[in-house]
Amino acid sequence: MSIKFFRIVQCAFWRMGSITDDEVIRKRLLIDGDGAGDDRRINVLMKSFTKWCHSNFSPEEGFSQYQRMLTSLAQCEFSMGKTLLVYDMNLKEMENYEAIYADIERSITSAHEKIAECKKEIQRAKRIRKNRQEYDALARVIKQHPDRHETLKQLEALDRELQQLSHIKENVEDKLELRKKQFHVLLTTIQELQQTLENDEKMESDDTQESSMENGD
Amino acid sequence: MFISLQLLHMSVFSQSFSPCGRFLAAGNNYGEIAVFSLSAALSPDASQASQKPILNFTAHDGPVFSLLSTDTHLLSAGNGEISAWSWAELIKKVRVSCSVNDNSLIVGGGDNNIHIMDMETGIFKSVLKGHTDYIHCLCFKEREEEILSGGEDGAVRIWDSRTNRPVHCIEVFKYEECARPQFGKWISCLATDSDWMLCGGGPSLSLWHLRSMSPTSVFPLPGCQREAVFYQDLIMSVGEGPHVSHCLHGGTVKAQIPCTPSSLNTLALNLKNTEHRVMTVGGSSHQIDVFTNFSYRAFSLSF
Repeated sequence: MSIKFFRIVQCAFWRMGSITDDEVIRKRLLIDGDGAGDDRRINVLMKSFTKWCHSNFSPEEGFSQYQRMLTSLAQCEFSMGKTLLVYDMNLKEMENYEAIYADIERSITSAHEKIAECKKEIQRAKRIRKNRQEYDALARVIKQHPDRHETLKQLEALDRELQQLSHIKENVEDKLELRKKQFHVLLTTIQELQQTLENDEKMESDDTQESSMENGD
Repeated sequence: MFISLQLLHMSVFSQSFSPCGRFLAAGNNYGEIAVFSLSAALSPDASQASQKPILNFTAHDGPVFSLLSTDTHLLSAGNGEISAWSWAELIKKVRVSCSVNDNSLIVGGGDNNIHIMDMETGIFKSVLKGHTDYIHCLCFKEREEEILSGGEDGAVRIWDSRTNRPVHCIEVFKYEECARPQFGKWISCLATDSDWMLCGGGPSLSLWHLRSMSPTSVFPLPGCQREAVFYQDLIMSVGEGPHVSHCLHGGTVKAQIPCTPSSLNTLALNLKNTEHRVMTVGGSSHQIDVFTNFSYRAFSLSF
């Protein structure tokens, strides 16, 4: 009955060419549709109850009417129970969704925090990498220069050589001095001897001159 | 027609971010400065129009070779003159030039000298002489208060900013591992990170340890690098070739990210603002590439 009504209204609207109030129509029909079933059932029950009370039925008809009213009452109760259960279910679903929502909120905030942490980690790692790179670059330059121990050893060896050579030089110079002095002594003695010999010769020639002069006298 | 020809021949020489980090100013070879709004370009509903400048004005007769942002002003340098524009006014799309600040401005110029100017009074405080050819690039070491300058004569000179005396002089082209005689000896980019220095240009881009004054790594990049910066654990450099090179301190080139201009002149990193943390590069094209994730190009702003 309600479906027919809905179809009639739909056809009317199609003929008019506007289904803009589809939502409104559907809602109204929904409310009317299901609710009209229960509502109508209660109204019918009331009407049949009053009719049954006031009119004179034969016992079988009265009994069958009574049975019909009971079934209709049971139907009403059943539908009421159903709606109550649906209501409870909806409440529980709402709670469930709230819980899930709160959970998701929490995990979002924790993910945000983790992201911030990771960003800080990245910054630290970048700084560390930069320091390592700088260290490596400097190390490369330093490696190009010869090892310090080697250079020190070389320096020491050179020092020792230098000392040795200077010793030798001193010795040689001393020897030279000595030889010079010896030669000097030798030469002076020779010269003196020469002088003495010349003097002797002169003296001898003077003597012979004197003796010849004396003889001549 | 004329406009499209103009766009074809445009080169972007310099960039600078505003002190709040939400605007980018770029200077080109026609002497124009364009101000772009980064917040509009980076917002989720950015359109083609948000990639155009919000303000475009002619600042100088010649090309705008360098732009620098102080806390309140944008300084632009052209051929022989330096102008200061107030960022507050620029953002309101009006330009007024004045110069008031409490730092000093270090200017290196074509007369082979470095001039230090007091920003409050506008008077030149001192002159650093020593270079034998014009100066391409300057940078400042904050910890030791030293100025590094590199120029056409191939020497990187380090000056003490308090006594204004030269401290060191490194002639990069004399080191065999860096020198590239086929390109020349000029130094066009300098960057410093306390103990380390990057320099490049004619010679290959190389990383130097300043305490020992020795080159530690040489980067095998083919062209001449025009600008390089230190960023976290990477070194980013731009130069000839349509890409941004990401290198590690060890001397390896980690990545080369392609860009629209065929050769790049300037690279700028917006580190002041964490929301609009981008890198922008500009070069011989009227487009400026914007990188939100530094590994790939996001979009381009155009003049």
